[in-house]
Amino acid sequence: MTMSLMMIRRAMLIAFIVALIAVPWIVPALINKFWVSVIAEIMIWSLFAASVNLLFGYVGLLSFGQALYFGFGMYGVAIGISTLGLSFWPAFGLGIIASVAIAFVAGIFAVRLTWHYFAIITVVFSLIFYFFAVSVKAVTGGDDGINFTLPPTFSFGGYTGSFSNETFQYFFIFAAVAFCFFLMHRVIQSPLGKAFVAIRDNDTRAELIGLNVYQLRLIAFVMSGFLAGVSGALFAFFGRYASASYMFYHVSGEAVVWAIVGGAGTLLGPIVGTTLFIVIREVVSTHWEHHSLIVGVMAILVVILAPTGLVGLWNERLARWSAREKVPATRTSLQSEP
Amino acid sequence: MTESVLLVEGLTKRFGGLTAVNKLNLSITSGRLHAIIGPNGAGKTTFFNLISGLYTADSGRVLFKGRNITGLKPYEISRIGIKRTMQIKSVFPQLSVSENLWVTRNATNGVLHPFRSASSDHATRERVEFTLEQIGLTPLANRAAGTLSYGDVALLEIGMALISDPQLLLLDEPTCGMSPAETARTVDKIKILAQTIDIVIIEHDMEVVFEIADDITVMTQGENLVSGSPAEISGDERVREAYLGRPEDEDYVEEAAHA
Ligand SMILES: Nc1ncnc2c1ncn2[C@@H]1O[C@H](COP(=O)(O)OP(=O)(O)OP(=O)(O)O)[C@@H](O)[C@H]1O
Ligand SMILES: [Mg+2]
Repeated sequence: MTMSLMMIRRAMLIAFIVALIAVPWIVPALINKFWVSVIAEIMIWSLFAASVNLLFGYVGLLSFGQALYFGFGMYGVAIGISTLGLSFWPAFGLGIIASVAIAFVAGIFAVRLTWHYFAIITVVFSLIFYFFAVSVKAVTGGDDGINFTLPPTFSFGGYTGSFSNETFQYFFIFAAVAFCFFLMHRVIQSPLGKAFVAIRDNDTRAELIGLNVYQLRLIAFVMSGFLAGVSGALFAFFGRYASASYMFYHVSGEAVVWAIVGGAGTLLGPIVGTTLFIVIREVVSTHWEHHSLIVGVMAILVVILAPTGLVGLWNERLARWSAREKVPATRTSLQSEP
Repeated sequence: MTESVLLVEGLTKRFGGLTAVNKLNLSITSGRLHAIIGPNGAGKTTFFNLISGLYTADSGRVLFKGRNITGLKPYEISRIGIKRTMQIKSVFPQLSVSENLWVTRNATNGVLHPFRSASSDHATRERVEFTLEQIGLTPLANRAAGTLSYGDVALLEIGMALISDPQLLLLDEPTCGMSPAETARTVDKIKILAQTIDIVIIEHDMEVVFEIADDITVMTQGENLVSGSPAEISGDERVREAYLGRPEDEDYVEEAAHA
């Protein structure tokens, strides 16, 4: 990648982060306060879509069952607070540990398979737990879910940080999501991340050069469960409730669409895809109840016209433009682009 | 030196009714470049797939430096030091040429740091640059491997074998699809390599075989027809019979015999 391309990308990334930080002040002034929480929700769902992307975009495994780990993150928090009486951080930890643990157990079986077999087994796992969660109403509240009152995040001196303060809530979510994306970025650039992509590209060859493909797929699966778990826990904090309905495969499927439309195998693809579809939902659904039709048509169009997703398309354009500007653009792999 | 680096005993692989490798016995002597020849479908690639663990043998065993490696997983066999190239060229198409080498090097080390950025690893970088020079692909270092010409992919495959510091290198038709110039370059490279690494090469090009091989094994119908020195092989009646119907190859055998 040339200097100038890298600088364009970096400048855009910084502008994007600055804009996100300014949201709690700018958005209420320009649109209205409601959109601040929509943007917070978009960040949470982007992280969820990123968990699909880590597996599909970088390791080549398409999971249709990520809602399971999202659900465990959610219920870890909700049960932790309402049943076990935990405070904020232990409940957060419980949600994350629960989702990572179940991802590990499911992964042991799932990553023995690839392609549609893998997709099917991930759906089956999530369905089993969905019906289980619906049936043990005493613990999970079933489809009605569990409502809880959120304890403060921390108090320091006289100051109490709590989600009841909307600005605090926004920044907490922003920080947690940004941190996860940063981690993911580091992993993708690391030798581990390169090994992931090698497996995605050619798993036989990967095994022959000495990579333990099974073990690496399991690591990726657990990491992806972690991302889904964090997003589920954040969503529980955000909504002050957990419900089995979020473990349904329909939720998993939406994340797959968001990730692929945004650009699988790119770090920011899931953010773009998620933003696009949630904004459409928020804007159109108030006027027209069949908004999912638009979503479907758009998804199909993007998959046909831009198989690498919107971010992939953008990266290609940028590379071509920079080549035309006589900047010697040697395109490195897609993976090292944001 | 007559120590055998690879000892194959009674190795058999069936695909349904077809016996692709049939009670194969073979000893590869350390320090000597061993070529395997034989008509199409003789089971040569299947033999490599058995050694490298991609297929499981129905019976028989493979000893590498006295250690039984039968039934080990491909990555385990790779980490022991047995590396190979594929007949159908096979790299990581979306990774760049240098990333292909990079990931191969790290896979051999067995350490996959989850957070350190790849570019801060100086030892690996130097080794990657060195290997790029060795195979002459430095100008293409940043190209996605999927966009390379067939000959360049073949060179990259050899680079990937090199950078992993093999003890035993299995080359499956390495010059196939190369231009004459690339073939000459690759043959030179293989000769140099053979001074430090044990190499087994499957090759159809008889000119290449007789130029570089110290020992030759002829496979037909999954069996070891005959093993011997190039002179012994070129004078063997059974070898001529096995190659009947393939006049070009027979010519090569004759030419090489008179050379
Ligand atoms: N995975 C497989 N399933 C079924 N049959 C196979 C498989 N692999 C190889 N064979 C068969 O085994 C026989 C030996 O094939 P192999 O590829 O080992 O031959 P080869 O000596 O490498 O030939 P070539 O010179 O054409 O590369 C062939 O008849 C082939 O069709
Ligand atoms: Mg073959």
